[in-house]
Amino acid sequence: MSFLQPAMLWALPIIALPIVIHLINQRRYRTIEWAAMTFLLAATTMSRGYARIRQWLILAMRTLAIAGLVFAISRPLASGWLRLAAPGTVDTTIVLLDTSPSMQQQGNRAGVTKLDAARTQLMQSLKLIHSNHWIVIDSATLQPHEIESPEMLDSLVPTKSTSASADIPGMLQAAYEYLRDNRPSQTEIWICSDLRQNDWDAESARWKVLREAFLEAPTPTRFHLLAYGDGAAGNRSIRLTAAETRETMSGRELLISLVVRQSEAEKTTLPVRLEVAGGITEIPVELTGTETELVNYAIPLAGDPQKRGWGRLKIPADANSADNEFYFVFDEPPPRQTMIVAENDKGVRSLQLAAEIAPDVETVSAARVMTPQQAQTADWDQVALLLWQAELPDDSLRPLVESVVDRGGRVIFFPPEGNSADEFAGLGWGDWHEEPVGFQTVNWRQDQDLLANVRSGEALPVNELSITRYRTIEGEQSKLATLDSGDALLSCAITPRRNVYFCGTRATDDHSTLARNGIVLYAMIQRALADGAESLAAARQVVAGEVDADQSVHWQRLASDDAAVSTRFRFHAGAYEQNERLYAVNRSSDEDRPLIVDSERTAGLFQGLQFDRVDEQTGEDNALLREIWATFLFLMLLALIAEAALSIPRRRPSQANVTPAFVKEAAA
Amino acid sequence: MSISGPQRSFLDPQVLSRLSSIPLFSRRAMVGNVSGIHASPHRGSSVEFAEYRKYVPGDDPRRLDWRAYGRSDRYYVKEFEADTNLRCCLILDTSGSMNFGTTGVTRLEYARRIAGSLAHIAIRQGDAVGLTCISDKLVRTIPPRRTPSHLRGIFDILEHAEAAGDTRLVERLHELAETIPQRALVVLLSDLFVSPSELREAFDHLRFRKHDVVVFHLLDPLELSFEFQRPMRFLDMEGGTSIFAEPNEIADRYQKALQAYLEEMKTVVLGSEVDYHRVRLDSDYELVLQNFLATRARTKGAR
Repeated sequence: MSFLQPAMLWALPIIALPIVIHLINQRRYRTIEWAAMTFLLAATTMSRGYARIRQWLILAMRTLAIAGLVFAISRPLASGWLRLAAPGTVDTTIVLLDTSPSMQQQGNRAGVTKLDAARTQLMQSLKLIHSNHWIVIDSATLQPHEIESPEMLDSLVPTKSTSASADIPGMLQAAYEYLRDNRPSQTEIWICSDLRQNDWDAESARWKVLREAFLEAPTPTRFHLLAYGDGAAGNRSIRLTAAETRETMSGRELLISLVVRQSEAEKTTLPVRLEVAGGITEIPVELTGTETELVNYAIPLAGDPQKRGWGRLKIPADANSADNEFYFVFDEPPPRQTMIVAENDKGVRSLQLAAEIAPDVETVSAARVMTPQQAQTADWDQVALLLWQAELPDDSLRPLVESVVDRGGRVIFFPPEGNSADEFAGLGWGDWHEEPVGFQTVNWRQDQDLLANVRSGEALPVNELSITRYRTIEGEQSKLATLDSGDALLSCAITPRRNVYFCGTRATDDHSTLARNGIVLYAMIQRALADGAESLAAARQVVAGEVDADQSVHWQRLASDDAAVSTRFRFHAGAYEQNERLYAVNRSSDEDRPLIVDSERTAGLFQGLQFDRVDEQTGEDNALLREIWATFLFLMLLALIAEAALSIPRRRPSQANVTPAFVKEAAA
Repeated sequence: MSISGPQRSFLDPQVLSRLSSIPLFSRRAMVGNVSGIHASPHRGSSVEFAEYRKYVPGDDPRRLDWRAYGRSDRYYVKEFEADTNLRCCLILDTSGSMNFGTTGVTRLEYARRIAGSLAHIAIRQGDAVGLTCISDKLVRTIPPRRTPSHLRGIFDILEHAEAAGDTRLVERLHELAETIPQRALVVLLSDLFVSPSELREAFDHLRFRKHDVVVFHLLDPLELSFEFQRPMRFLDMEGGTSIFAEPNEIADRYQKALQAYLEEMKTVVLGSEVDYHRVRLDSDYELVLQNFLATRARTKGAR
């Protein structure tokens, strides 16, 4: 138990007052000469069990009453299972607030979301704690915001709900960095979260680093976890998996594919409301299991001359309102332009063919070949994929290449003949290696990236490639394919976007069978092209929180939550526009999977740290901290009543009858 | 009769004059040595017919009832009741506890007034009066005599009696039961702070000796109410250990013990046929004596 006025506890010794008064009273005795000692002796030797207990009870009740008063004016706090630091000793209190969509789920109390409950409970509780500094770190920006008092939690914009997933280790990292920079004395960190696995990333190695960092911090930090793991049942979520337009005989139509997930496998028909091009269409979706997919549902767009636009899918309200909407934007697919920069024509033809042959007839693909000198004057804006088979870009070309990289375009470097010490994105070229028999690719990443398996699950025939001449790739890299010599055939540079690749060989017969085999080269280039074209697409689906701030700073709202402020559009689901480009921001797909980190695992993450956890019910009447002085006053009152009841003189036997009436009886 | 000698503090002539109109009667037949107003167990020469008895040789022929002879042709002697005086033995408890009194008068002083008044009344009607002061022993004793000059000696002893020492009331009563000649009026003035069961044996002993026993049980109002406002240290007036107590705490148990004692005492006196009078020291002794004398006047006459 903690106290808001602990100094008043110094007054606790006055609970001995009744005892002192009792002792003083005992000293105030009078002496009398007494004749009827026989009754006095009988009275003192008579059974005194209750009388003695009664005296002790009266003394105890008086002591309790004073103790209750002292405790009441010390303003005690009921903190449940929280082990709070002594009031006044906390220098900085940091609140890590999970504002992810899953926190929008209603708790056991109808109408109150977990986030609202967390904010309310934090406000009610923290205002009772004295702290010199109040810091809030929201899960969207991971930025520490200093506030004057806990009451501001309700009005602070960063504490509002977002569509962005939380990154709890990232928030703790931000908290640690704040502590490292400001060096407060005693710190308490309050974490409010619903313990979703995607938010906590419990398997991440970051936790170990964080734990050790906090353990080695000069001042101890106390962690309080307010877990909102429970929630109302019966939640459904909707997600759009594809949206594209096509021309038909009857005009343009929109093809959408969607997935509806429900927590309980209920068989029903769910009316999905589709809002697109100013019209509203209701799509009845027959739900059968926990996951129902609707593929290529066609919506005619005959009345709309525009080939681009935005739309919104919506399902009826349920336990979580954050996953009932899904925004999408659509446009004509962007042209797939490939720029091939090569010192000479050797091996360029294969790359050009692989880039130009589109996977379907509707996709327009083009590839231009040029020398590095020509590249300086070329139009780089529409380049989705850059194939570079020359010396690494010099200072004149480097900014142009970097513009493609920064935009999200893909760049694949092939080894040049010459030697230079230059590097790009941390990677550079090493020595040439030759083997007439040919090197084999022993392993490659089949789960993702350029050499991933095809949709049917079959692997690309990377192992069938024969590499007779390759160049080592120097620098810190992520190997996507490794030769039996141990060197990398294809590597990805460690960049934020992971869109810079180095291929150790060329697509010529004297280097490898990349051209002759064809399939691997084609898949690799088409995939890179498709990914790069995404960066040029005029309509992009983005995950909330994964868009850079400078990229979204000029977004205009088309449709979104009205509460979203313009600087935080990238965290809120909605449709936005900037320079003829459309953006649809939605929650990540992980938010639709309600997987919780179990309590043992959570405790393990904070092993060795001062950590306690409170599983709070969602509801306003469950404050974490409460002032309970009224309870002590009530106890004092009870003690006084009990004391009064015990002190009531017992009814004495009527005084001895001195009339000798019974003498007559005797005489008779 | 005037009170001889100096003015006694425990005697009020006006009270005595008012009480003089009520005679002191015995409840039982007394054996006196002169004629008096009390019934005698023997046949005598009073005017009150008792019974006819067959003439036996040796009887005075003058006492033959010739009328009865005439009716029945048998010799009968006519017998009459005898009236005699009594021996009144006043027993005054002078133990230390008799010095207690919170109403302005100690128990001993109150006992003096009753004893002095009774002695005066008895002597005045021709009865013999004796006095015994007891504590743990027989302190003073003066045998019953009926002469008015004997009264002065009794008053002197009463006046000089002092409450001191332990109580051995039961033993002294047994002793007195044996030493006082049979059929006397024994008046005990005491606080009776002894075990009632032991007291009963003493009363039964007195009753066995055909004494008419009167007890004035003198109790102070404070002993009955036991009302105190603060912690008290009680010193035993008879030299026992002192007791420190919070009166409010033990008052109920005190009262319980007192009630039990009084109930037992009631049983004892009823069983022992003792003329028992419980007297509060704040009551008027004249009323007490009036009540006593009047009650006895109604119940006199047993032979």
